[in-house]
Amino acid sequence: MPRYVDANQVRFTLRDRIFLDTEFFSGERYDALEARRLFPVSGGNKYIALLDENGNNVAVIRDLDAFPQEEKQKVLSALDEYYRMPRILRFIKMTEKYRIWMWTAETDKGVITFEIRNHLTAVKPLFDGRILIKDANDNRYEIPKFDNLDKKSKKMLFPKL
Amino acid sequence: MDFFSNKPVPEKFRDRAQRELGDARAVFAIVGDMDLDGSYNESVMYFTQNAILAFDEKHPDSFRRTGFDEIETAFVKRMYGNALFRVRMKTGETADLLRFTFSAADIADVAALYVNSVIEHGFGEEPVETVYAAYMKQRSFCPKCGRKLPSPDAECINCGGKKKLLSKFAKYVYPERGRLIACIFLSVFTTAMSLVPPYTTKILVDDVIPGAANGADDALARLFAVLGALLGAYFLQYAVSAVRGYILRCAGDKIVINLKKDIYRKAQYLPLSFYDKTSTGSVINRVNSDTATLQAFILRITQEAVVKFFLMIGLAVIMFTMDWRLTLLSFVTIPLVALIGRTFGRRISPKYMRLWRKSSAISTLLADTIPGVRVVKAFTNENAASDKFSRYCDSWFAEDKKAAKTASVFPNVMTFLVSCGTVIIYAVGGGEIIRGNGALTLGMLVAFVNYAGMFYEPVNFFANLSDSYQNTLASAEKIMDILDAEPESDFGKGSAPAKIDGKIEFRNVNFSFDHSKKVLDNINLTIEPGDIVGIVGTTGSGKSTLINLIMRYYDDYDGEILIDGQNIKDIDMSFYRSQIGFVQQDPMMFRDTVFKNIAYGTPNAHVEQVINAAEIANANSFIEKLPDAYDTMLGERGVGLSGGERQRVSIARAVMKNPGILIFDEATAAVDSETENLIQTAIERLIRGRTTLMIAHRLSTLRKANKIVVVDKGRIVECGAPDELLKLKGKYYKLVQIQSMNDELISKKREENFE
Ligand SMILES: Nc1ncnc2c1ncn2[C@@H]1O[C@H](COP(=O)(O)OP(=O)(O)O)[C@@H](O)[C@H]1O
Ligand SMILES: [Mg+2]
Repeated sequence: MPRYVDANQVRFTLRDRIFLDTEFFSGERYDALEARRLFPVSGGNKYIALLDENGNNVAVIRDLDAFPQEEKQKVLSALDEYYRMPRILRFIKMTEKYRIWMWTAETDKGVITFEIRNHLTAVKPLFDGRILIKDANDNRYEIPKFDNLDKKSKKMLFPKL
Repeated sequence: MDFFSNKPVPEKFRDRAQRELGDARAVFAIVGDMDLDGSYNESVMYFTQNAILAFDEKHPDSFRRTGFDEIETAFVKRMYGNALFRVRMKTGETADLLRFTFSAADIADVAALYVNSVIEHGFGEEPVETVYAAYMKQRSFCPKCGRKLPSPDAECINCGGKKKLLSKFAKYVYPERGRLIACIFLSVFTTAMSLVPPYTTKILVDDVIPGAANGADDALARLFAVLGALLGAYFLQYAVSAVRGYILRCAGDKIVINLKKDIYRKAQYLPLSFYDKTSTGSVINRVNSDTATLQAFILRITQEAVVKFFLMIGLAVIMFTMDWRLTLLSFVTIPLVALIGRTFGRRISPKYMRLWRKSSAISTLLADTIPGVRVVKAFTNENAASDKFSRYCDSWFAEDKKAAKTASVFPNVMTFLVSCGTVIIYAVGGGEIIRGNGALTLGMLVAFVNYAGMFYEPVNFFANLSDSYQNTLASAEKIMDILDAEPESDFGKGSAPAKIDGKIEFRNVNFSFDHSKKVLDNINLTIEPGDIVGIVGTTGSGKSTLINLIMRYYDDYDGEILIDGQNIKDIDMSFYRSQIGFVQQDPMMFRDTVFKNIAYGTPNAHVEQVINAAEIANANSFIEKLPDAYDTMLGERGVGLSGGERQRVSIARAVMKNPGILIFDEATAAVDSETENLIQTAIERLIRGRTTLMIAHRLSTLRKANKIVVVDKGRIVECGAPDELLKLKGKYYKLVQIQSMNDELISKKREENFE
């Protein structure tokens, strides 16, 4: 069984933007752990694993939201360094040439144009209303809620759903 | 070689780069699409013969030069949706030079290899060429149509490919052209016949019936003559219609069957990477329902469109000759009908697309769970399984309700409008007759209303045609996704050497299924003919993937794999695979007899050949004891045989091929030790004189191996003769220690139990 940790059991120090030096209040110290979401798609801030440099599991954070703000922020920023699943705010254009689509979208990380070879497999609507997109290079994008997109974006995306 | 880069170097760094480079030769550059903070932005990294020049607004002064002499090693850290080009400095620190999405990750990998190779061996053209090859692979487009190709010299299957999607289906229609044209003539005829009844109505109302009232003596005779003509027209119309229906259905079925056959055939040739992404249900849906959509559309276009066109012209001519003012009047509502028809199509077609997704999800669920019914029962999960299915069905229903709303409201709105048109005609025409101030007669009015009603039908048809075209396009696209997909390369092309000796070489092979994770990392390996090679390593280390590449299940790797000195991509695929006997851990059986399952790859096998193969595979003994022996019918996936029995059948299959190279992927992992012994002796009988690769969990299985390859995290960490590796006291030594310790423990425990 992995070692589950809850708030008030550990303290983190963020290093090199991605490493968490982790000090358990029971006494052990682990340097340079990396945080990985166990449920990157569905899980929010619950169940985050801390791995050592060989990829071995040292501990699992049960619920990050229950941690003090300061500690939570360090873990979040380490996660933010690792995970890049930009939120799509709106679509700017979708063009097709030789049955390869180029989609240009504005995301929370800036404007990006990516390649979609086959929207049948690239676009995945989830039950909770989110839409996940995986481009031809396996980069991932998320639309938090289809209904919140503007009219033009909806119109572009709708036939692809 | 001249300077090259994956994308044009961003304008904003160009001048600066020239300055910083000075006299140094820029060998190549990687243009990134993120800044170091992970926002989308431009960045670039130049590689010279002795330094990396990274330009990124997030570097201090937007620039960082790192000399190769400061670097210990360079590597790419792949994260989630992005990756970093990172160097470990001699001082022990690490530094990030460039961040990019996975679009640039593959070339960054080879760039890291370049840096490490130059650091180790000094600058040379060979590492540059490796990088160049990776660049070319990224940029291989068909010169004719621009479609991306799997490799630079691959032939584009899309060419001459600017053809419109639907015209690709012309070849399925063409063979049926005779029947289709005959049907058109027949339906022009029936349509012409359908124009007769309203006209006879006019004659009846205007001439015959009033004639009787006026006391004409031949009135009854005339009535029967007209009715006879009417009956004849009806008879001809429906008789011809029946014939036409039969011919048309046959023609349509023929088209669809040929299409289905082609889809299935093509599906056999698609690479595994296609099936990694596409669910079974969606393939089933494409074969079943999308072909039906397409069939319907093809018939619409080749039949109805032609017929409706003639009908429209015929009606217009008749109506104009009867009364041009009424005709114009009845045309007033046409634009409205057309408009509503179009709106309807626009609304409904995305709904159908979503319905398709839902029904494909249901098919997938079925295809997934029905074969897994044993597991369902083992976990008493019947309820949950049914619940899940209900949920899928409900979600389909919710979507269908939306579609149904649109689909039910619109046609009725349209019919209502058409009826309004009729009312207007009655109002104007009726008024005229009552006032008696025109040439219009009652019979003409009735006939006219009939004709006008008929006129809306083709109007509606053509108004909706473009949307039904859109809809069909979606289906056509899904079918083309299979028909047009890149098949596994070149069956029937490439060379077929007389014989394969069995020398296998891996040269700088890198591979990932998915850009997010590298599965094989710079594999270099040479296997001599006749070698018996044991491949060991923890699960998930990449052993099966190594085999998958040899089998050419995945072709999209960097580097080269050679057999007898020849690149395996240059060898004809069917010849190549026929030379390899592959026994998997969980062999797949088909719903067929044991005999057919053994002779699976050898269609004209002689009975004795099969029995002998079974004998070699130690399978004969158990097959003989089955009541139906070789005629035993297996269930789906080989239900009816035990794991060890299935395994021996699959070894017999491999024997049948008489292959030059044998591969066993954990062939004995799932069986008891007695069966393992049976299989082991079968294997040892089989491998004599053949190059053999064996992945094995239990090292005892590898007692015949003269070479051991230890794989760890996608790399080959040790490779050599077993005793050499033992002396090395590395990973292999440890594995042996652990296993013999285990064995010792087990035998000790046994002794204890006996005491
Ligand atoms: N079809 C696939 N798609 C994506 N990843 C895969 C696929 N098959 C295997 N992998 C991954 O590749 C790695 C190596 O797998 P494999 O070669 O099967 O390991 P093993 O050494 O146990 O045979 C594993 O991490 C596995 O998760
Ligand atoms: Mg395996």
